[in-house]
Amino acid sequence: MPDTADLATISDGQLREEVAAWLKANWDPSYREGGAGQAAASGPRSAWLAKVVEARWAAPRWPVAWYGRGLSDAQGRIVEREFARVGAPGTGQDRTNLWANTLLARGTEALKARLVPALLRGEVGMCLLYSEPGAGSDLAGIRTRADRDGDHFVVNGQKVWTSSAATADYGMLIARTDWDVPKHKGISFFFCPMKQPGVEVRPLRQITDESHFNEVFLTDAIVPAENQLGDMGDGWGVLQTALAYERSVMGEGARGPRSGVAEASGEEPLIALARETGALADPLIRQSIAQVIAWKKLNALNTARAKADLAQGTSSPVMSLGKLAMSRILHEEARLRTAILGAGSLLEGPDYPRAEDANFLTLNAYFTSIGGGTDQIQRNIIGERVLGLPKEPEVDRDIPFRQVRGG
Amino acid sequence: MATIAPEDLQALKDAVHRLLGDQSGEAQVRATMDTASGYDPALWKQLAEMGVVGLVVDEEFGGGGAGPVELEAVMEEAGAALLCSPLLASGVLAAELLTALGDRAAATRLLPGIAAGTSIATVALTGERGLWTADGVDLTAEVVGGGWAVNGAARYVIHGQNADVLLALARAPDGLAVFEVDPKASGVEIEALPAFDHTLRLAAVRFTGAAGRRLDAAGPVWPAVQQAIDLALVALAGEQAGGARRCLEFTVDYAKNRIQFGRAIGSFQAIKHMAADLLLESESAISAARNAAARLAEGAPDAPAAISLAAFACADAFSQTTATSIQMHGGIAFTWTHPAHLYLRRARADAQLFGTPAVHRERYVQQLGG
Repeated sequence: MPDTADLATISDGQLREEVAAWLKANWDPSYREGGAGQAAASGPRSAWLAKVVEARWAAPRWPVAWYGRGLSDAQGRIVEREFARVGAPGTGQDRTNLWANTLLARGTEALKARLVPALLRGEVGMCLLYSEPGAGSDLAGIRTRADRDGDHFVVNGQKVWTSSAATADYGMLIARTDWDVPKHKGISFFFCPMKQPGVEVRPLRQITDESHFNEVFLTDAIVPAENQLGDMGDGWGVLQTALAYERSVMGEGARGPRSGVAEASGEEPLIALARETGALADPLIRQSIAQVIAWKKLNALNTARAKADLAQGTSSPVMSLGKLAMSRILHEEARLRTAILGAGSLLEGPDYPRAEDANFLTLNAYFTSIGGGTDQIQRNIIGERVLGLPKEPEVDRDIPFRQVRGG
Repeated sequence: MATIAPEDLQALKDAVHRLLGDQSGEAQVRATMDTASGYDPALWKQLAEMGVVGLVVDEEFGGGGAGPVELEAVMEEAGAALLCSPLLASGVLAAELLTALGDRAAATRLLPGIAAGTSIATVALTGERGLWTADGVDLTAEVVGGGWAVNGAARYVIHGQNADVLLALARAPDGLAVFEVDPKASGVEIEALPAFDHTLRLAAVRFTGAAGRRLDAAGPVWPAVQQAIDLALVALAGEQAGGARRCLEFTVDYAKNRIQFGRAIGSFQAIKHMAADLLLESESAISAARNAAARLAEGAPDAPAAISLAAFACADAFSQTTATSIQMHGGIAFTWTHPAHLYLRRARADAQLFGTPAVHRERYVQQLGG
C-alpha cells in the first residue's frame, strides 16, 4: 500500500499512473456482474467494491482517517476518469454517495464507524423518509414525531414517496422532536432502521400504473440515540446538507418516453415520428417540433454554461432554472406527440409503443413538474432566491409549530 | 326534433344527476372500468328505463323524441360522473345514423331495441388513420352471389366488443353505403383495443367477406353520416364540458382545504390564478356545448360552425382542466387511487373521437369562409 499521506502532493501524471496501474492489477470486467444500485453484501460487484474501499479509491477526496486520500476535487476527477476508462464502478463516492457523505458530515462517531465502510461497499440499502401526506411542498411542516425514551427515540407518523423502502436497511428520516418552537427549529434527523416491526411499507400505485414509490407507516418504531445526525432541533440543517448532495448527482435525470423506441435512422425522434405518421408536412406540427427541440437545446446550453461557471467557482442562476425548463419540455413534448399521433394516441400497452410513449410522457411529466418541488414552488424560489424579489408572507414561520394550522 | 319545456329539461337533468350520483360514483366507475365489457348492465338498464338511452330516437320507434339540447344536458351529467356506457355509440351515433339514412324498414327493425337498451349498436366508421371523414373510410363492399360482402379493417369502433348490431360504412361500387352486419356472422372478427381511457371501450373490426344488409338511403350517404357525427360531437361536447366543470369543482375544493405553510394552498396566487383560468375554460366549454346544441336543434345555417367551435373549445377545455388539476393537486394526484387521472384519460380520449381539435379548428375557419 502506498504512503497515502503523500498522495495528495503527487503530480496529476503520477496519480493517473498510480490509478491505472492499480486498475490493471485488480480490475476484471467480470466484477461488473450483479445489479448496480442494489445493496448486496456478496457477489462479484460487492467483492470489487470492497477492494476499491480497501485501496482508498472509493472516496479519494475524503480524509485519510475515513477511507480516503485527501485528494483535491480535480484529482478526484482524474481517479474517476481512469475508472471510467476501464468501465470500473466504485470511485467518486465522495461526490455521489448521498448516504455516506451525509453520514460522514453529520453522524456520530459510533454510527460512522459502523456504517460508513458498509455504505461505500454498497452493502447497506437506504431510502429517504422526508415527505409526508401533509408535508409536500411544505416539507418543514412534517408531523411525524420522534420522542426520546432513554437510549432511543420512539417514532410515529407516516412518510410517502419513498423509493426502495421495502429493501432498505435504513431510512434517512426527518421527524419533529420539539413542537413548541417554530417549524424549522423543532426537526431532528435520524438513520431509522427499516427492518423492525414498527415500520410498515406499502407500495404506492402511480398514475403511470408503475409502483416506484411507497408509503411508510411508522408506529412506535425504535431509533437508537446514536443514529441521530446533528443535534436535537438541528435536523433541517442536516437535511440541507443531504439535499445538496442529492441535487449535485440528480442533474438531467428526467425520463423520456417509456418504450424507448430507438430511431434506427439516428434522426431526431420527433421528426422521425412525424414522418412516420405523415404529420411532418403539417406546418403547425413543424413549428411545435422546432419549439420542443429548441427548448431541449437551450436547456442543454444553459446547463453547460452553468457548469462552466461552477467550475470557475461562480454559481450560475441558470442552475435553478433547469427543472422548470425540463418540466415545460416534457409536458410540451407529450402534447406534441399526441398531436402527431392523433387517434393513435387513444391506445396504450406494449403493442402500441408510439401511443404508449405519448401517454406515458403525458402522465410522467408530472414526476418532474410536481416531484422534488412543484413548478409553482420552483418559480417562487427562483423569484425570491435568484431574482431577490420579496418573499411571500409566511404565516407559520415564527410561531410555535403546535399552533400552526395543518391539513 | 322536438324540444321539451325548460322545466322538463331540468327535471331530466336532475333525474340523471341523481341516478349517476347513486350508480356512477368513483368506486363504481373504477369497478366498471376493470370489467371486460366496460359498462354496468344494471345501470344501462336504468338509463334506458329513464329514457336516456333512447332520448333522441323518434317516439314512433320507442324513443324520447328529444333533440340535441336535451342530449347535451344529459351528457354534461354523464361527463361529470365519468359514466362508463355505450350511450355515445349506440343511443347517439348509431341511432342518429339510422334516423338520418331514412331507411324505414331498418329504423323499424333496429331503433326500438336501441332505444330500449336491449340492443347495443355501433358504427364502424374509420380505418387505421382514425380520420372520421369520408376519406378515412377503409371498408369496401361488393356484390357476391346476390348479397353484399364487406371487406377491410375498421378501427376505433366505440364499444365494438359489446355490439349486437354493427353499422359498417363501406365503399360500394356506386359510392359510400351503410351495411348492417351481425357481429357474430362469419367473416367478422372483433378485437378489443387497449384504450388509454379505461372508462372507454374501443375495438378493431376486421371484415372478411362478411355478409352485410345494405341500408337504403334517401340521398347521398355521407351527409347522413355527418349528421350522426354532428350529433355525436354535440354529445361529446356536453360530456367534455360536464367533465371539465366537475374536475374543476373537486380541484377548487382541494385548494380550499389543503393546508401548506399554515394556509390553504388556494390562498397562493399561483394556485388561485390557475383556478381562475380553468373557470374561464370550463364555463366557455359549457357555453360552446349548449350553443352548438341549440343551433343544431334550430337547424340554423351556422350550426356546423357552432359544432366545430364546440368540438375544439370543449376538447381543449377538458384537456387543460384535467391536466392542470393534477398539477394543482400535487403528489396526491400522481397516485392511481386519486380520480384526477381518470378525468385526464377521458379528456384525452374525447379529444380524439370524431376528429382532433386541430381538425375542428380547420373546419371552423372553413365554415367562416376562410
